[in-house]
Amino acid sequence: MNVLIVEDEKGLALEIDEFLSHEGFTIEHARSKGIAGEKIFVNNYDFILLDLNLPDGDGFDLLQMLKGLKDRDDAVIILTARGAVDDRVLGLEQGADDYLAKPFSLNELLARMHAITRRKHKLESNDIAVKEFRINIQNRTVHYNTERINLTKKEYEIFNYLVLNKNRVISRTNLTEHVWGDVLEINSDSNFVDVHVKNLRKKLSQFETIDWFETVRSIGYRVNI
Amino acid sequence: MKLQIKLALYNTLTKLAIIVFTGLLILFSLEKITYAHISLRLRNKKDLFIKNLSSKEINQILNQQQSFTNYNILKEEYIFLKPIPYQANRTSKESFSTQPRTIEKNTDNYLILTYKFNFDGHSYLLEIGDTMDAVIQLKQTIREFTLLMLVVALLLTLVIDLIFTKYLLAPFYQIIDRKLIKVNDPMNFDYGKIETTTQDFKLLDDSISTLMKKITDLFILEKQFIANVSHELLTPISIISSRLENVLLNEELKEDSENKIFASLKTLNRLKSIINSLLLISKVENNQFNKNDEIPIAGIINEVYLELEDRLEDRKVTFENKIKYARSIRGNHSLMHTVLFNIINNSIKYNKEQGSITVTDYLTPDEYILEIADTGTGMSEQQIEKAFNRFEKLDTDEKESYGLGLAIVKSITTFHDIKIQVSSASDKGTAIKLIFNQQLH
Repeated sequence: MNVLIVEDEKGLALEIDEFLSHEGFTIEHARSKGIAGEKIFVNNYDFILLDLNLPDGDGFDLLQMLKGLKDRDDAVIILTARGAVDDRVLGLEQGADDYLAKPFSLNELLARMHAITRRKHKLESNDIAVKEFRINIQNRTVHYNTERINLTKKEYEIFNYLVLNKNRVISRTNLTEHVWGDVLEINSDSNFVDVHVKNLRKKLSQFETIDWFETVRSIGYRVNI
Repeated sequence: MKLQIKLALYNTLTKLAIIVFTGLLILFSLEKITYAHISLRLRNKKDLFIKNLSSKEINQILNQQQSFTNYNILKEEYIFLKPIPYQANRTSKESFSTQPRTIEKNTDNYLILTYKFNFDGHSYLLEIGDTMDAVIQLKQTIREFTLLMLVVALLLTLVIDLIFTKYLLAPFYQIIDRKLIKVNDPMNFDYGKIETTTQDFKLLDDSISTLMKKITDLFILEKQFIANVSHELLTPISIISSRLENVLLNEELKEDSENKIFASLKTLNRLKSIINSLLLISKVENNQFNKNDEIPIAGIINEVYLELEDRLEDRKVTFENKIKYARSIRGNHSLMHTVLFNIINNSIKYNKEQGSITVTDYLTPDEYILEIADTGTGMSEQQIEKAFNRFEKLDTDEKESYGLGLAIVKSITTFHDIKIQVSSASDKGTAIKLIFNQQLH
């Protein structure tokens, strides 16, 4: 899958590049609105990661230009430090698929990209398999074979996020931010995420041993598949 | 004491002094004048009497009697003549005195001219008296009149002074009220001039406006500074955080390095939280939020409860929702959510194990009041005062308290015109009241 990173901060663009390349994406860069406009006009991208504050203009213009092109299905994720509440609403209204405020975690970006992919391409009827467990993204449910496991909303979010970021250590901080969103003054160090994970584990392990669900001491969790 | 009353009292006292002084002056001079008047008349009469005197007449008057007295019917005047032992070298001498005299059982005060003289080889004593009653009565009348004048004038001036100074000082109180008391933040300062013809108040008004303009400029500068700094910091943080995440992709990384990187990410996250909190406050203070959402209070409380359920469980704190009224207010939904989240989150954070949190509400004719009470450690007066300041932290076991939660609450409630009252007792708990004005919300 190919990704266009529209970002004038070279340092950040390179880090996103490295991370996504590692995940098997093909990356292209555009450092200005002008260059980005040309690239978008010529090529189809699976993802366009769009910074709003560009040296030669507003990223929103690119979004509008893209929506004006025929037969395009590029997913757009807005990445911005502007963070005004209205920007989020405006971005989504104008057809962006998601919106991430800087600074964001690359894991979070990846999870959102996966979610968009699944939504767009209706992959395997929206199911992700984890051993004998199946996560249905559309209905937000988890099944073991045919039996439905009754998870709370937060337990589901945690499980889903860990699975989307499989084989990678996810810190409590990262997990908290994903599940609770940008709630300010949240205490990311306390153990209330652990409470949910503990309950989640209890529910899953009723069906089979889950040694693939690993606790990484003092940091967080990892799902090894 | 109010300036108005001071001025009125001052005026009253000066008037009192003037009237008393004038009254005394009148009384005193009146006495003098009447004395002089009567004395003159007595002297004239005496002169007339002496001039017309002949030995025949004297004998006729005395008529072999020891003395002679004559008076008019109303006993206002009398004349008295009496021979006294002869002294050859007696010089004629007159003197005035005020003495009581009894004429036909009637005692009265008289001004008396006493005159001793030699006539025809004899010495005589002549007394001519004129009653003082008239004078005394006049004095009495004037005294009463002065007193009456005094009382009436005092009351009148007091009332008039009070009314006048009130009118005079009205612009002053208007300035105090509109330009100083009602100013919560310099951004919404009312630069309209207060109507007055008093130069001094105009000066005061202008000076306050000038001062406020300076403060506002500084305030805006500070706000812009915070907003800019915060915003500019977010991109570098984003770069570092991404870089660290990429370092973690390296599978040959040693465990302790990995731990350190995770710890650094956590610190970055803390930095991000602080910056975002400051940005939020700055945006709220710059009115960058709409406030047209219809917000059901009970609904938000429930949302917050669901979000914090795990923490309540973790600390074994019970949550009692006793909301009775289905009130909705106008405002910004996500901001109000943040307010209640922060308050209830604090109630959990500073509660004791197995404590409780109670949410109640009341309606008064003007206000809707939402109260969140906990059974926590409580705060002292000083702590309450400082609690809403930025970066003010209570002693807490929690490592990652930024001291911005209540500062955010304050800026959002100010933005919504919601009053906050905190009452607290050490070791008994804290109650925070949010007071919504029925007309505004």
